Amino acid sequence: MLLQPLKTVFSDNRGQAKPEELNHMDIVACYKWVLDEQDIKIVPGSLLLDTSRAKGKISDYDKNVIEEAVLQAEKDDTVTVTALTFGNAKAKQSLKDALSRGPVKGYWVNDAAADIADGFVTANVLTAALRKIGTYDLILFGEGSSDAYGQQVGPRVAALLGIPAVTFVTKLELSEGKVMATRKIGDCTEDVTVNLPAVITLLPEVCKPRIPGLKQVLGASKKPVQEFKLADLDLAAENTLPKNKIKSIQGYVMDRKNEIYIDGTVDEKVNTLIASLTKDGLL
Amino acid sequence: MKGIFVYSEDIVVTKQLLNIGRSLADVLQVTVTALALNETDTAGLIARGAEKVIALSGSNPWVESYAESIAECIAKENPLLVIVGGTMRGKDVAARIAAWHSRGLVNSAMSIEVVAGELETKRMLYGGLAVCTEELSEGCIVTIDPRTYEEATTDSLRNGEVVSCTAKSNDAVLVGGVCPIVRERADLANAEKIICVGRGLSSQSDMKLVEDLAEKIGAEIGCSRSIAEDYHWLPTESYIGLSGQKVKPQLYLSIGISGQVQHIVGARDARVIVAIDKNEKAPIFSAADYGIVGDLYEIVPKLIEKLGK
Repeated sequence: MLLQPLKTVFSDNRGQAKPEELNHMDIVACYKWVLDEQDIKIVPGSLLLDTSRAKGKISDYDKNVIEEAVLQAEKDDTVTVTALTFGNAKAKQSLKDALSRGPVKGYWVNDAAADIADGFVTANVLTAALRKIGTYDLILFGEGSSDAYGQQVGPRVAALLGIPAVTFVTKLELSEGKVMATRKIGDCTEDVTVNLPAVITLLPEVCKPRIPGLKQVLGASKKPVQEFKLADLDLAAENTLPKNKIKSIQGYVMDRKNEIYIDGTVDEKVNTLIASLTKDGLL
Repeated sequence: MKGIFVYSEDIVVTKQLLNIGRSLADVLQVTVTALALNETDTAGLIARGAEKVIALSGSNPWVESYAESIAECIAKENPLLVIVGGTMRGKDVAARIAAWHSRGLVNSAMSIEVVAGELETKRMLYGGLAVCTEELSEGCIVTIDPRTYEEATTDSLRNGEVVSCTAKSNDAVLVGGVCPIVRERADLANAEKIICVGRGLSSQSDMKLVEDLAEKIGAEIGCSRSIAEDYHWLPTESYIGLSGQKVKPQLYLSIGISGQVQHIVGARDARVIVAIDKNEKAPIFSAADYGIVGDLYEIVPKLIEKLGK
């Protein structure tokens, strides 16, 4: 019973790109609004995290995702790019940033459930939203997010939609209902071709995100945003509950000697370092 | 009794996973099943602690295409815990299996333990700033990066059964050229000593200085992400950090690197960390055993000079 979805997994996407679809392609760039980890501090004397000063940002990897989608649209005017995110009320500010990077429309699943969502829940929610949106040929994700770096939402969504996933991609090219992608897998690169619709997850080296100009930022506020609530997505309750129980999140403290030579001449400092490294058996 | 299921497309990694898999199974008093692809060394997996080995064979060279068949094997075994080798291919397969079966998935766990009868993992959050401990749901998949554990020790007295099955073919993804990445330098992941350069270096021609020091102490050269991705002074596979290489050298010497947490996380398993940077407040110093605050253009030549004697 559990495996039932598998039977239909790859049955609906082969050799049936309709002619009218060839003339138009919808790319959905998925992104996550995260806390900027640079602003998170470990409370001195404890292992607690202080996130009170942390501002939000579009996950670093996902800036590349939006950029790559927009670059594809700039190369080919039959390509339309939209952006999709799942976040709490604070993620509202992300849409302006995302849209200033080029997508024509934003989709936002606005729900506090995002705060505790794991990869399982996020993938269920995004899949339901994509079904609601209805038009997708290519769905792009980052390889992971810069906060949790769970590295799973992209291929999970592909599995749930029953379409192929190509992960860890550094280069992609769209043509005639197909995508050609170069993956970088550890010690080799791999060129693969899949029929659309498909999910692709991108490595950050795929492109360099632009810095939006004033005109783009101002233009972004005029672009449409469609908001969903979790209740709009017809998800079964068990699909919105995280799988594992988080027991603790603690600051990682490194136990290092921290012998830092600040004062003295270059000669003295270098001598001290060489003496220390010799003592540790490293020179 | 539900057991532990172990899989990697790389049998070397599978043997490492059997180390943690077998010890957890001993604590929980359950059995271990290992799945191997197109492999003949099923005896090696049994000797390393698997009571059952599923030898899955197929004709598609793209191992990701076996995800469906692997998912079916897992469903049939209905394990308490699935441990998958945390290679990129492994994570790809793990995520899809997790979605098909509504399973939890913890990627790149640093450890799996039994605490008060429950399975718990630790993994990094916020680019290595924090550690998240979670209690696993039943049937959860956990990926463990290669080399996290040593290979399990062998015991030729162990017995186990071998079950062969054939993988379903799935050709939705066509794989064309596969090209090994030619590394200009030795593999950083296995280097004993690494010198790592960052944006404190003002021009690419100054790499010579770093190369001289590297030659003097017998080190490989790595770099921060921006040196590889923005400046292209070194190939992408030379950058050390969260999304780059994670290294475990005896000596890690950083030159002109401020040390953002995403970088440090790639180096923090080094035995000794040394930092040279002009900014006294650079975060790299709080991650370092030894540090010199000063101009690298004075310090590095002096180091080369003194080491030469």
